[in-house]
Amino acid sequence: MTSPFASRVWQPVRILPFLLPVSAAIAQADTSALQWLQRIYAATEKLSYSGTFIYQQGQQFETSRITHVVEASVPRERLETLDGVPREIIRTGDEVVCYLPASLTVKIDKQPGRRPFPTILSEQLKDVSENYTIRKGEIERVGGYSCQVLALEPKDRMRYGHRLWADLNTGMLLKAKTFDEKNELVEQFAFTQLKIGGPIGRDQLKARYLRESRDWRVEDSGATRANLAEAGWTIRSSPAGFRTVAELIRTMGGTGGVGHIVLSDGLAAISVFIEPATSRQPAPQPGPVRQGAINLYMRPVGSYWVTVVGEAPAESVKYIANAVEYRK
Amino acid sequence: MKEELSAFIDGELQGEGLKVHLGRLRTDPGLRKAWDTYHLIGDALRGQISPEIAARVVARLREEPTVLAPRPEKRNPIGRVGWYAMSAAASVAAVALVAWTASPGWRGEPQLAGGPATTTAAAPVTTLLSIEPHPEVENYLLAHQPYSHRSAMQGIATYVRANDERGAARK
Repeated sequence: MTSPFASRVWQPVRILPFLLPVSAAIAQADTSALQWLQRIYAATEKLSYSGTFIYQQGQQFETSRITHVVEASVPRERLETLDGVPREIIRTGDEVVCYLPASLTVKIDKQPGRRPFPTILSEQLKDVSENYTIRKGEIERVGGYSCQVLALEPKDRMRYGHRLWADLNTGMLLKAKTFDEKNELVEQFAFTQLKIGGPIGRDQLKARYLRESRDWRVEDSGATRANLAEAGWTIRSSPAGFRTVAELIRTMGGTGGVGHIVLSDGLAAISVFIEPATSRQPAPQPGPVRQGAINLYMRPVGSYWVTVVGEAPAESVKYIANAVEYRK
Repeated sequence: MKEELSAFIDGELQGEGLKVHLGRLRTDPGLRKAWDTYHLIGDALRGQISPEIAARVVARLREEPTVLAPRPEKRNPIGRVGWYAMSAAASVAAVALVAWTASPGWRGEPQLAGGPATTTAAAPVTTLLSIEPHPEVENYLLAHQPYSHRSAMQGIATYVRANDERGAARK
């Protein structure tokens, strides 16, 4: 039969193979666990809260205070470390200002072309369900709140595993643990005190360290979207599940013209920085550096330094660093 | 303009406004003066004036003829001069007090480990540490944080990772 009707019937079947990989991954995932993940993202975007949390990395613990207020659908957020070297981070919409009083530096960073929340959400959920097995666990208590436990197990060794605790009522993430391939704890965030909703004073969002000194040095990232592939920079191959989500040109630590490529698997992000070797005097030591869940790998490529940073195993970070190429 | 300046001092400016004001501190003498005065008052209130600055203020007060040596009035010379002298003496005393109560912190004497704890009441004053985090690793960590997808789950809490004080381990 060659009637137009028949061809219309067959059209969905022709599209089907393209849809399959996505739907198969989502079908495998526990849908109610995926819905919980979605609730966590939505809660972070929409809730106002104020509290104190502990960050643990190895044997070290640090306490920080965080306030998050959504005003006219613009999130305003302030983070202050309470232990050790003081620092303050203030976010308004997609702009982040870091006050580093120890070095009297203000760093201003703005994400160019950041897409709206729901768009990112559906893409992230798709990527997450392709790269992790998501399961719902028990109900446990954190900071006085009853929480749903979610386990995200990596499907390969190129990424870490996660355990998340989300408030039963609001979906807010109250505790998060990251595990390496040996199932050992890499880092942990946990609220010890938290107030969700209710009035939160504007004072809690003000930059406090600014007035502590007279002489601040401003470092504006001036990040703009760029096509680094066109400039000759490519990543030959990425670990399975990681794809490029952003390409920028920015200023970093006072050096302009630094290339910045961001790769993501939906949950873990890896940044590739490309900077002229002349800006790095004395020359850094090539090789791996580790800080908690963050791994770094530096490598000279021609007259440039390539630095790969991300919350992923050292192996993934090194893999990407070695795959960065310059071809013109 | 004044509103913006006070918003700046209050730490309420973001982005362009913040950048413009921080930049103008170097070029605009008026803004610089307001900012310095604000800090001098703040420092004195917090007892954070260094002995040198306090000494300079004392010296300036001594050189200030309009305050310290007003033209004596014939009608009641003793009373007026006495009042000025008292108030000047009080200011000097107050500044000296500020200087002396502040000085232990400024000398920054190293404390012996295990030594007796100082009995000074811990005031909720944020002091700036002189330890500068190693910028090499920190720059990358901070530049990467906005793109960490975990921030979609926990906001800027992930920035606590970018603290090089813990010391990144070279393997």
